[in-house]
Amino acid sequence: MIKTTTITFLLAGILAAGTSAIAQDKAAAGNEHDHHDHSGHSMNQAPAGTEQQQTEDHSGHDHSDHDHSGHDISAEQHIDHSAHSTSSQSAEHGDGHHHHHMDHDHIMDHEGTMIMGQNLDKLPSSCKSISEEVEITVRAGRKYAAQFPGTAFAFDQQQWHVKPCSKVTWHFVNEDNIRHQFMMHGLPKYLYKYGMFHLEVTGPKTVTGTIIVPGSDDTFLVHCDISHHMEKGMKAQLVVGKGAENIPSIPGVTPYNINDKYEAENLPKVSDKAEQSTMVRQITAFTNNNFQNYGMMLIGALIGLFCLPLLNKIPFRKKKTG
Amino acid sequence: MPIHFFIALLTFSMLPSAAIQASLKLPETVKVDPVALTAEPMCDPKISPAWREAQEIEGVKIAASPGCSPDNPAWIAAAVKGTNQISMETLMKTGLSPDAIIKTDDLDGDGDPDRIIIKLEIMELNGKSPDFPGLVPTFDIAPGIQPGAWVFAPKTSGMSTENFESVRANPLLRLPSPVIRVEVGDIVQIVLENTHYFPHSIHLHGVDHPFSHGDHAGQDGVPQTSEVELMPGGRRVYEFQARQPGTMFYHCHVQTHTHLAMGLAGMIVVEENRPNNWLQTLNIGAGHVRHSSVAVRENFDQEYDLHYHAMDKELSDITQKYNDPRLIARDMNQRYDITDSTEDYYTLNGLSFPYTLRESLIIVEPDQKIKLRLLNSGGESIAIHTHGHHATITHYDGVEHNPVAQIMRDVFDMAPAQRLDLKLETVNDGKHSYGEGDWLIHDHREKGITTNGMAEGGSMSSIVYKSYLNGSGLPKVSHFGIDLNKYFTKEYFERRLPVWQDLDEWSSLGSPGGQTGLSPQGQISLMNGLIGLLIGLVIYLIFAKREQIKQSAIAAVSRLKGVKGSNQK
Repeated sequence: MIKTTTITFLLAGILAAGTSAIAQDKAAAGNEHDHHDHSGHSMNQAPAGTEQQQTEDHSGHDHSDHDHSGHDISAEQHIDHSAHSTSSQSAEHGDGHHHHHMDHDHIMDHEGTMIMGQNLDKLPSSCKSISEEVEITVRAGRKYAAQFPGTAFAFDQQQWHVKPCSKVTWHFVNEDNIRHQFMMHGLPKYLYKYGMFHLEVTGPKTVTGTIIVPGSDDTFLVHCDISHHMEKGMKAQLVVGKGAENIPSIPGVTPYNINDKYEAENLPKVSDKAEQSTMVRQITAFTNNNFQNYGMMLIGALIGLFCLPLLNKIPFRKKKTG
Repeated sequence: MPIHFFIALLTFSMLPSAAIQASLKLPETVKVDPVALTAEPMCDPKISPAWREAQEIEGVKIAASPGCSPDNPAWIAAAVKGTNQISMETLMKTGLSPDAIIKTDDLDGDGDPDRIIIKLEIMELNGKSPDFPGLVPTFDIAPGIQPGAWVFAPKTSGMSTENFESVRANPLLRLPSPVIRVEVGDIVQIVLENTHYFPHSIHLHGVDHPFSHGDHAGQDGVPQTSEVELMPGGRRVYEFQARQPGTMFYHCHVQTHTHLAMGLAGMIVVEENRPNNWLQTLNIGAGHVRHSSVAVRENFDQEYDLHYHAMDKELSDITQKYNDPRLIARDMNQRYDITDSTEDYYTLNGLSFPYTLRESLIIVEPDQKIKLRLLNSGGESIAIHTHGHHATITHYDGVEHNPVAQIMRDVFDMAPAQRLDLKLETVNDGKHSYGEGDWLIHDHREKGITTNGMAEGGSMSSIVYKSYLNGSGLPKVSHFGIDLNKYFTKEYFERRLPVWQDLDEWSSLGSPGGQTGLSPQGQISLMNGLIGLLIGLVIYLIFAKREQIKQSAIAAVSRLKGVKGSNQK
């Protein structure tokens, strides 16, 4: 009697431990991803490795239909008035009336290409000197969402690593035909208005801007603030040094705070097709309908086989003690 | 043991007397303290009163608009001149992208630009976030009422919210989709940049447009006849040169039964060609037109765009239930059944009462002629009633009605997608107008004055004479003892505020408090509980005294057996 109860408790304990372990695995998935990314992007931390890093990043994504010829990113300056030609829509860009809004931290051209909060030379108080100069190319577009089911827009990478006090020049390549933004939050407010650095451009086109990151380990949110672009995938983080707390709901990096509920749907399958003979259909229908019952019966029989000896023991011992 | 029984008996005897006491007096009225309500200022304090004044910006004359929330005058200057022809200072006050409205080339030499490019994006309002339990970016159609919606928005620059700390939508992102104004003969390009996560299109209902365009292929907006859906991240140009004027309609024609109701619908007006006719290309938020066309100014003192719309809560909830676009698509396209739907939100220019008082009042003076352009983009016919006025129907669906046969009515029935142009004359003759006042204008299907079934709400607004307007641009009603404050609380629309509690001093129709005594059901359940307790007590006693019982039972049995003379032990 005592033995059987111990066994049952042990079994129950193992089961419970198993389920909680699965749950923990799920929770830890994000962190694991994070570690993967660390190894995958180690190039980022290597100084003067930017060109290599860019090419390597591309090999990382399976987008054979990449067409970079249409929008050359190499030699473009902050603002490019000429390269943006959408063929037959010559009238679309008006008569060349150009806006150039320039103050210390806000540059905008006649198409809305924008650089806000750029910092070329002001050292953060936590830095004695610039540790390294890095150039990072960020691509934005719908096609980068293909690798993350359930998203609509994405950056080509979801995480970048730089050393504290590094000077980072961002080449933001918008590959869609709409606006996208590269907006960074949480930077020191004495250097960056509202703590923000912001690039914005209607694609296909590139905009470039530079910042100097602070001297302490930190993690900064990067996103596109157009309605529901961040919610639908266009979200990333910049990790300075060892970084700080991860930012939630970055595709492939960190889990969502709030998850949708998914359920299997009754979708048509090739196997449903009525190519089979009536006989085969009847048989398969019969087995399909009855599989659950028979399966349960089998499980019941197994339980019976294993448990009967145990059950037998109980009345036997009772009689003895009684 | 006897003590237990005594207590139980006592309780039983007391129960009925307590019940009798409770039924002698009904519950007291509980009056909701106004301090407990989330009161909003009746007039939105974020909008500068200076915007109401008549002014001139960038050489554009902007008429006064004395309502409490007038349009940003910088928007009007940008819409009239084009974002390509205003100073950076004015542009920065609009939040528009520098290429949102491009006006060039006076092709007919009559002093106004004839090549017009209008860039529209598609924005979601009140959608779900995977980061926090709230909605983003928020747009209230009434206090606390935030239906999921999509809109065509003028191309903006910068953030979708007011600022980084706020979840409230940038003022350019709002219901309804903006009113577009172009001139007969203009070469117009409407450039749709699909910033939304679903495919969309534009159908120019009633506007003279070629079925297909040489450079841009099909452009009737219909995925089954003329063009494929425009995918997220894509751009499409709709080009036309309208030959006929009129009040028309544009909307998305992809999965129209849901996309139209979600808000992808707006008014488009083709104005008659006149010299020096600088049009207000966009009327953001519809309502009062502060820079009317030359032709309208020839015949009218004022002009208002009135866009009536309706939304089904069951549909608008879908974008708040899921973040994954696949799940939203599944529920909208395959599970939502419009034939079982009922409309819940009725809006005028994107808002429901009381917010209609802020920006959709028709503010008039005696002896004026006012042009009203009405559009019904809801799924059902509506019946707009003008209190105190009969107006003349001059145009149906953009086409002028025979002037001799034009009729006056005070109820204007409008089928879905229908447009009416009305001439409202404030002549106090007992027919055109009964005189000055704060006259309601509302949908006379009574559900049209409700918000999710709660009156007063819906699309109702007022035709209000200036003498009935108070200092903050709202109807002056306090001298009648009317207090509109309760409508500017979310608790009212949450159905938590008794509508009539303040009609008299003792709140005769306020909320009754909870029962003080025990309700009949409570009495029954208490009784059952006591019976259960008794049973439990008995079982306990039997258990505790089981040895005694056993012994007495054995004694009894043995006595019985002794009589029979048994051998057993």
